[in-house]
This record gives sequence, C-alpha cells and structure tokens, in this order.
Amino acid sequence: MVEDEHDIQAFLQQALSEAGYSVDVAPDGRTAEALSKSNKYDILIVDLGLPDQDGITLITRLRQIGVIAPVLILSARRSVDDRVRGLEQGGDDYLTKPFALAELLARLRNLLKRNAPQGSELTRLRVQDLELDLLRREASRSGQQLQLTPQEFVLLEYLCRNAGRVVTRSMILDKVWGMRIQPDTNVVDVHIYRLRGKVDSNGQMPLIRTLRGVGYVLQDR
Amino acid sequence: MSSRTGRPPVRSAAWRISMWATLAFTCGTLVVFIFLDRFVANDIQRRSDAWLSGEVEVLGDVAERTPNDALYNRVVGEVAELASREVPEKSASQQPENDSVFFIQTARDGALKLWVGAGDGQSHLQAIQAAQLAATGPVSIHVRGYAVPFRVASDSMADGSRVYLGLSERDQRRVILNLRMRFFVLWLSIVLLGFAIVFFTSRRTLSHVRNITEAASHIGESDLKLRVPTSSRNDEISQLGDTLNRMLDRIENSVNQLHTITDSLAHDLRSPLTAIRGKLETSLASHDADHAEPIVSAIEELDRLTDFLNKSLDVAEAKADALRLHPTNIDLDELLRSTIDLYEPSMNDRGIRLGLHSATPVHIVADEGLIHRMVANLFDNELKHLPSGCSVDIFLQQQEGEARLILRDNGPGFDPEVREHLFTKAVKGKRSSGHGLGLAFVDAVVRAHAGKVSADNLSSGGARIIVSLPLAAQEADRLHTAHAG
Repeated sequence: MVEDEHDIQAFLQQALSEAGYSVDVAPDGRTAEALSKSNKYDILIVDLGLPDQDGITLITRLRQIGVIAPVLILSARRSVDDRVRGLEQGGDDYLTKPFALAELLARLRNLLKRNAPQGSELTRLRVQDLELDLLRREASRSGQQLQLTPQEFVLLEYLCRNAGRVVTRSMILDKVWGMRIQPDTNVVDVHIYRLRGKVDSNGQMPLIRTLRGVGYVLQDR
Repeated sequence: MSSRTGRPPVRSAAWRISMWATLAFTCGTLVVFIFLDRFVANDIQRRSDAWLSGEVEVLGDVAERTPNDALYNRVVGEVAELASREVPEKSASQQPENDSVFFIQTARDGALKLWVGAGDGQSHLQAIQAAQLAATGPVSIHVRGYAVPFRVASDSMADGSRVYLGLSERDQRRVILNLRMRFFVLWLSIVLLGFAIVFFTSRRTLSHVRNITEAASHIGESDLKLRVPTSSRNDEISQLGDTLNRMLDRIENSVNQLHTITDSLAHDLRSPLTAIRGKLETSLASHDADHAEPIVSAIEELDRLTDFLNKSLDVAEAKADALRLHPTNIDLDELLRSTIDLYEPSMNDRGIRLGLHSATPVHIVADEGLIHRMVANLFDNELKHLPSGCSVDIFLQQQEGEARLILRDNGPGFDPEVREHLFTKAVKGKRSSGHGLGLAFVDAVVRAHAGKVSADNLSSGGARIIVSLPLAAQEADRLHTAHAG
C-alpha cells in the first residue's frame, strides 16, 4: 500500500489486517519501488497524490520493472482522470476518497479474483437454507419458493455472491442498477426492506442484516 | 456541417457584399459615362457648328464678291461643293449623291436663287423659312422627307439676299451612337469583371471567417485545447483569429486554474474526510450496537458532507462551463426504465404513482455518470416534495433534434418564492430537507451538455420540469433522412 497520509495509512492497515491481508506500507514512491523489487505482492493500493511523484508515474515505473500485480488506485481528485481510466481498462481499478471500507475490500477481492484462475460459472448459489437457481431465475428458502421480481432476484443474487461480507448502498446501486449515483433519499433501503419482507418472513432467522452507516450483509452463518 | 456547405451562394455574405459593391460601381461608372457622352456630343456639335459658321461666312463672302453674271452660279456652286467635301465626321461609305450638305442662296424676297445639294431644295427652303432663322449661331431644322434634322447656319449679304449652309446631323449622330455602343460594351464588361472580382475575393476572405466560426463552435463543446485556424498574412481576418486564440488561451488558463483550485480544495477536504470515515468505521466494528448510534450518525453526516462537496464543486465548475465530460452514447429510455425501477418502491411507499410515457429508444451522447446523477436528482426531488396520493408522469420524446424529458406531477407545484430561482445554487423551499443543490445540479449538467431545462407550475395544478438535450448526431441525421425520403 502506497499512501502518504498517516491517518489513512493507519486505519487502512488495521482494516486490511483484520480482513486477513498482510500489508506493507510505503509512504512514497521511492520506498514503494524498493519494496516491489524485494517482494512479490498480490495486489497494490496506490494513492494518486504522493509526495515525491504522481501515482500514475509510479504505476508506469512499477510496470516497467516487471510488477504485474493488479493496482487499486485511490484518488482524492474530483473527477476521474483520463489516465486512470486508461489504467482501469488495463485491468486495474480506482476508488475515490472518501470511501467505505466495505467497498475497498470488495474491489480488492474483485481484482484478486480477476487474476486468479477462473472456476466454472456457478448455476446455483446456496447460503444457509437460501437457494438461488441462476438459470431459472428462481429463489427458495427452506424449500419454499420465493415470489421475487426480476430486480429483486438480481439484488438477492448480488447479496448472496457477497454473503458474509458488507455491501454498501453505492455498491448495490453500481452493481444492480448500473449507476454510480448518491441519491439523498432512501431508495435502496426500500428495496432491501421489501426483499427482506420476502426472504425473512415466517419468523425464520433473519438473513439480511442492516449495518447502519455501513451497508448490508447477508449472513452466511 | 453538410447544411452549411449546401447553402445557396445567394444567401452568403460574399454575395451580398458583391451585389452592393457592384451596384455602387455600376452607378458610379454610369454617371461617368453619361458625363463623357454629354461632353463628347457637345464637343462634336460645337466643332460642326464652328465649321458651319466659318463656311457660311466664306460662302457669303464669295457670293458677294462674285459678279452677278452667267458664271456666278457656277463659281458659288463649286465653292459650296468644295466646302461640303470638308464636312467633319463624314461617313466612310460615301453615297453617290451627297445629301448631307446643302447650300441655299435666297433673293431679297426670299425666293430660291441658288441651290447646291440633292433634290430641288424647295422643301429645305420651306423648312428654313418656317423656322424664321435668326442671324445668330446655327440651329437645328427638320426638313420634310428627312428623318434626321439639319444644322443650318445663315449669313446675310449687303444686297439683302441670304445664304444658308445646312449640314445633316446624321453623321454626327452615327458617331455618337457608335461611341455609346462602345461605352456600353465596355461598361458592361467592367461591371461584370468587377462583380466577379469582388465576389471571389470576398468569398475567399469570408471563407477564412467561416473556418474560424466553424473551429470556434467546436471549441468548448469538445475541447478547450483546440484553436481557430490562423494565416501568415497579417490582415484583419488573421488578427481576428489571433485575438480569438489569445482569448481562448486566457479562458483555458482560467478553466485550468479553476480545475486546480477545485481539485486541491477537493483533495484537501477529502483526505481528512477519508481518515475520519475510516477511523469511525473501524471503531464501529469494535463497539456493540448500543454504543454505535453516534458513530453511525457521524458516518451518515460525513457521507452527506461528501455528497454536498461533490455537488457544489460540480455546480461551480458547470457554472463556469468547465465541467469535465466523458461522453458516451446513452439510451435515455433504458436509463429512465432502470431509474424508475429503482425509485418505484420508494414512491409507492409514499403513495406516489409513477408513469412512464416513452415509446422508442432515445440516444444522446453525454457523460453517463453525470446524466445518471442528474436524472436521480429529478426523481429525488419529486420523492422529497410530493405529498402522498400524487402521481408523476414522465414523458420522453424526440423532436427537432432534441431529446425532451418532461416530469409532470399533480402536487402543490413550486413555491412562488423559489420558482424564480429554482436553478440557482442553494435555493430550496421552506419544507425542503435537502441542501438545495438538486435542481442547480440538474441545470448545471444539462447546460454542460448544450441542453436547457425549464420549470413551471401547470394551470391545472402541479409542477412541470422540462429537460431538453441534443440527440446523438446519428439520430439527428437518421431523422433527417427519414423526413427527406
């Protein structure tokens, strides 16, 4: 992780360690380059505004010295730079500050998954007693068929694929509706509320939990 | 730009300039030629009058001195004959009988005494007597049987008889007519040549202006780095180009400066926001639910603050026409359907009915992220302000090269006090809970895409917001060819 702000460094290191990653921190580009030469990393987190050089320049240099690990770019700039877009197409990703930890972790997982060998595409998802048939677009809980709208099914599928992990509202908006927006109304909550009404009915153990201020999680145990 | 090149030349400025220049030139040369014509005609008249007066004096002299004997007629006749050979501007094709000059001598009683010329001279004499010639300079006299008048000079002699010398104006007129014909041909060719020269030079010059206009119209809608074409010649047009380019340099500098300011402002605010949010989130994980409430609300406040920061900077940049766009092709119909899908449950919960009236895909070229946020803002606005039981109808149409998105509700309408300033920053109704940036942001995004937005209250009650955005170019072209076919 290449980040010069000490406060951000500290909480990121803590959060990433808690999520099970082992993290090396470099406060500037030179240190990052030196570390990359002596270690092989699975993933790099690079802040765009570094004290000694531009984040993009650093990434280009790292690529030149043979670092192939995917890069998650953190940017405090307002709009996404064209150069960052170029990198994004090259298999890397970006996140604008401030971000939710859940989103950072989700993007890291995505980047790592992209690099890992692809398993065969799932046709069924199973979380506890909840079962999703991805081909027939049907869901059931404890053998009981759930009456879901197509949109609710997509939402539930997204939650199931991230079972046990926190998803934020903006992640849901991005992945389920394809929109990077920040509505100042509770539109996503209403969808979750309705879905929960169908999934967690009949006094069963609630699966969809709301973590206030963070997002939602579909419990897998 | 096919419409511009296909424009008929008669509507171009070059054509108008050439028409006026030619008109002025035509009038000017016409005045000069008329003046020349008058001058030449008068000169010819004056010369022939001088000749007539001189000759009639000589003839009178000869007639007076020649004794009145048998030889008199012959002597005077021959002198008159000789004089007639010296006629000025005589036509080259000499007729066998010279009828352009005559000489008459009358007796004291006015009877014809001597006649030199074609015919018997009676009709000439009658005409002269009818005109009652004065002794002064030559005058024009119409003789029966001749289409062209004669110029006649007279002299009286001591014995009371008079001599008259007449010269037909025919040759004189022929010369002038000849001259006029040449003048006319010359004048016509000068005018046509002048028109052609003015038209082509002004068209050439104005084509530079058109190039500049065309280049300038592209600047801003795509890229501020573009410059208008300049030429090496240091004329007014290239000065215009240079001035425009210098102006663009300054604008680009200001815009870049604005970007730098907003970027560094965003950066300086976002880094601490990130740190605070991160710390709050990590501490949230280590607290039980009972103590989490203040942390949760702090995180929510932070997210609102971030959203406000983003929107403010976007609105500020858009107001300065400096919003950075990454345009792609978007189907508004599809976008509306998924937005309605997202908003419908919330609307239904509040007892608001949503209706979409859109038949076909409507493609625009625009920044996807901004358009998504703009549309979401419109829906948020309805969701926040409409009381229960109302309905919102959304119309998507394409007309006159524009995509038109209309949101019409049957709610209470806009507050009269905020209606005037709906799209300005931080204006909100008394009951509004937002930070008042919603519609300002909508306006900013629509303007940045060369569209316009308007809002009014319907007479039947309720509010209406109309957003117009230019259609994707191929869409406009397709419609155009469909109309033509």
